[in-house]
Amino acid sequence: MHPIPRLASLLLALVPAAAGASLQVVTTTDGLAALARDVGGDRVAVTALSHGNQDPHFVDPNPNLAVKLRDADLLVDVGLDLEIGWLPPLVNQSRNAGIQPGNERRFTAASAIRVLDVPTGPVDRSLGDLHPAGNPHFLDDPRRAVEVAQAMAAKLASLDPAGAAGYRARAADFARRIGADEQRWLAALKPFRGQAIIAKHPTVTYLARWAGLRIVGYLEPKPGVEPPPSHLAEMVEVARAQKVRAILVETYYDTRTAALVAKLSGARVASIPGDVGASRTATGYQAYMDEVVKALAGALAP
Amino acid sequence: MRYVVLAGLLAAGAAAAQEPQAAAAPLGGNPFARVLMLPDVSAIGSGALVWNQKDVRVVSPRSDPYGPGGKVQPVFQELEVALQSVVDPYARADVFLTFHPDGAGVEEAYLTTLGLPAGLQIRAGTLKSPFGRLNQQHPHVWDFVGTPLPMARLLAVDALEGPGVDVAWLAPVPWFLELHLAYQDTVPGFETAGRRTGVAHLLQYFDVAEGTTLGVGLSAARLDEPGAGAWRDLYGADLFLKIRPPQGRAYLTLQGELFARRLSGLADPAQDGTRLGGYLQALWRQDAYWGYGARWESAPAAGPGLSGAENRWTALATWYPSEFQRLRLQVSDDRLPGGSTGWEALLAMEFIIGAHGAHPF
Repeated sequence: MHPIPRLASLLLALVPAAAGASLQVVTTTDGLAALARDVGGDRVAVTALSHGNQDPHFVDPNPNLAVKLRDADLLVDVGLDLEIGWLPPLVNQSRNAGIQPGNERRFTAASAIRVLDVPTGPVDRSLGDLHPAGNPHFLDDPRRAVEVAQAMAAKLASLDPAGAAGYRARAADFARRIGADEQRWLAALKPFRGQAIIAKHPTVTYLARWAGLRIVGYLEPKPGVEPPPSHLAEMVEVARAQKVRAILVETYYDTRTAALVAKLSGARVASIPGDVGASRTATGYQAYMDEVVKALAGALAP
Repeated sequence: MRYVVLAGLLAAGAAAAQEPQAAAAPLGGNPFARVLMLPDVSAIGSGALVWNQKDVRVVSPRSDPYGPGGKVQPVFQELEVALQSVVDPYARADVFLTFHPDGAGVEEAYLTTLGLPAGLQIRAGTLKSPFGRLNQQHPHVWDFVGTPLPMARLLAVDALEGPGVDVAWLAPVPWFLELHLAYQDTVPGFETAGRRTGVAHLLQYFDVAEGTTLGVGLSAARLDEPGAGAWRDLYGADLFLKIRPPQGRAYLTLQGELFARRLSGLADPAQDGTRLGGYLQALWRQDAYWGYGARWESAPAAGPGLSGAENRWTALATWYPSEFQRLRLQVSDDRLPGGSTGWEALLAMEFIIGAHGAHPF
């Protein structure tokens, strides 16, 4: 290649990919990125710092992510300390004053929803690696996803008043579409309402509450704590006694302990996508929930 | 306890937001509000059982934990107390107090700007010099126990650090390229007097493939030496490669640093000259609970009558019962110039309590 075209292509590579969009939105997870795309349409260019096949508790604070934050017009995080282990140093490195906690270019999704599992008594790490502000795994409840989308639309409207009507219209459309999907999803899960399930980690509290399922145990004796054999034996007994058909494990977790308990108790392992982007087909929020519901129904079926 | 109160307040806030009519405003406001203003407080403790075949204090001076030759020695390494918070909308402050067998002190205490224009960020206070990789990290972040010999011998016993200012510029390019220029008062090598020090550090990170990140850095520092026209120049090159498949907790890191120290213009010309050293290490984190590593270090020998390179090989096994403690077994073979070998073993424990800020990559 001639040196001049080569230089030109190098310079082009330095130009942000979606230069035509009004707002550069950076989200901490793929799920939030999907909502931002639904609500923002072509007025936003969305980048996620982590991907759906990653455990969002343990993302590496790779400094190249701070470069993405440097150029962000809006940072959307889950909150409730989900990203406490990796997001703060990146925000500090970004030099972007607006995205500091509490500043105008920061939207914390948890602020839009009613939070479950908020501890009401004494809390310390003898209880495991729990989230002292409440359970941050709320996007697998479609009602809460709609609430987050609507609050995100309001935030985008405040930052980009020229697009305000469009953000509100797209959020309303998202709410309508998800509302219709929700009826379909709940109908698919209706035969299993009231059934007992076991989960790996308290990641499915909101999902279970929404779907009418009872969580009767966790493979982890406490959040983030490796189960000793005695606890797994107890879970096998619980699964048998409560007629548990499904053991729910997100795709970013190892399924070996779940498979062992399932084998000994006669239950099935329901491998559910951890977030949008956890599989090649879960490309948007709707497709993600389709897969969650399909995996649940498949494992719970007699 | 802070989180208990905080969680209660958040819960009360959430309930009030949902039911604005039903929830009566609390009489007299929030009596716990000042708790919300406390900085994050944490403590990190570390100690070890050590065994050294040789009398390390004489033949291989260092800052690692060590014991008398041939005996198992319990060692208290350090208690670090951290206070971290934003100061105001424009800056944050990080204070790290250290308590160790020789006393107590301020390990670091600095202000960091949050929103300067043009990619600039300034840290001011007493801080570790932006030189290389390990020098800027606190020991509880290191994979291995103890300061690598070349760092202790060529830079400073614990770390090149001291009061001063560090200006860092994040270049406007699509990858992480940061240039640091610092001016500090530091105490080099095994010495006691502070020296005026200028430091430059260029650091870059590249995403070379999905889940594979490469970091490369170059460092240089100039310290004044006693006597007109006398200088101590330090040079460093650091490399860090992390391979971590996105799914799961396992990863592999390769890390190495080269150090060079050049003394010039000293009153005793025999002391002039350049000394080299470095280390290379690998760590395999098998899962959330286990990690294994190997390290090679080479540094100028410092024992009496010794000249040439001292080489140390180390094997490491780490057990992480949780995110908040680890137990490390480290076995080393320290080879002094002339072929003399000394075996060393460490069983080190470390814990962390409280809310400790996450560390950079």
